[in-house]
Amino acid sequence: MAADLGELKAMIESALPGSTAAVIDETGTGDHLRAEVKAPQFEGLTRIDQHRLVKAAVRERFDDGTIHALTIKILG
Amino acid sequence: MADQELTERVQELISENPVLLFMKGTPTAPRCGFSMRTVQVLDQMGVEYGAIDVLPALQPLREVTSEISDWETFPQLYVNGDLLGGADIVEEMFTNGELAESLGVEQPARQEAEAEPAAAGDSPYQSPPMKIEGS
Repeated sequence: MAADLGELKAMIESALPGSTAAVIDETGTGDHLRAEVKAPQFEGLTRIDQHRLVKAAVRERFDDGTIHALTIKILG
Repeated sequence: MADQELTERVQELISENPVLLFMKGTPTAPRCGFSMRTVQVLDQMGVEYGAIDVLPALQPLREVTSEISDWETFPQLYVNGDLLGGADIVEEMFTNGELAESLGVEQPARQEAEAEPAAAGDSPYQSPPMKIEGS
């Protein structure tokens, strides 16, 4: 099942209130995605903790096999 | 649930090695592009680091790092006991100078574009790869 980019964007933005997310299908196959996220919650966190927040927001789609790879870009 | 013995072994390795890379393959023969990119960054930093090939015990190690660091993809770079990140984070922190700061070294001078990259095997800083046996 291909990932629903709009759903992923909504999952990130609802997990991180006030954030804006863009989810892009990098390979056109629907399972290797890139998320560019800007969120007030990132303030003061290490890079790894920022990534953990984004991954946690979409973990369900990793666990069910919808996504295999997600490149995360934190926008400052 | 991760194997307890393997978890303890991994925690030991992380605490014994100030800079430790869990990677696919070895620094001289990386078996994954992300691991190779991370090795290339580390080799420019002039720090001694330990490297562990995760491939012989990939799934058990995923379970262990998932439990201890909430991270299940490799490579993983640990500095002073904490997970710093995978290839993307390491490269980004290299570029913005945060990696040098974390490692307590000077930011290396930007390499000339035409300079030949040093072969990984020639690095004088690298410790021999450590092996971890699958259980």
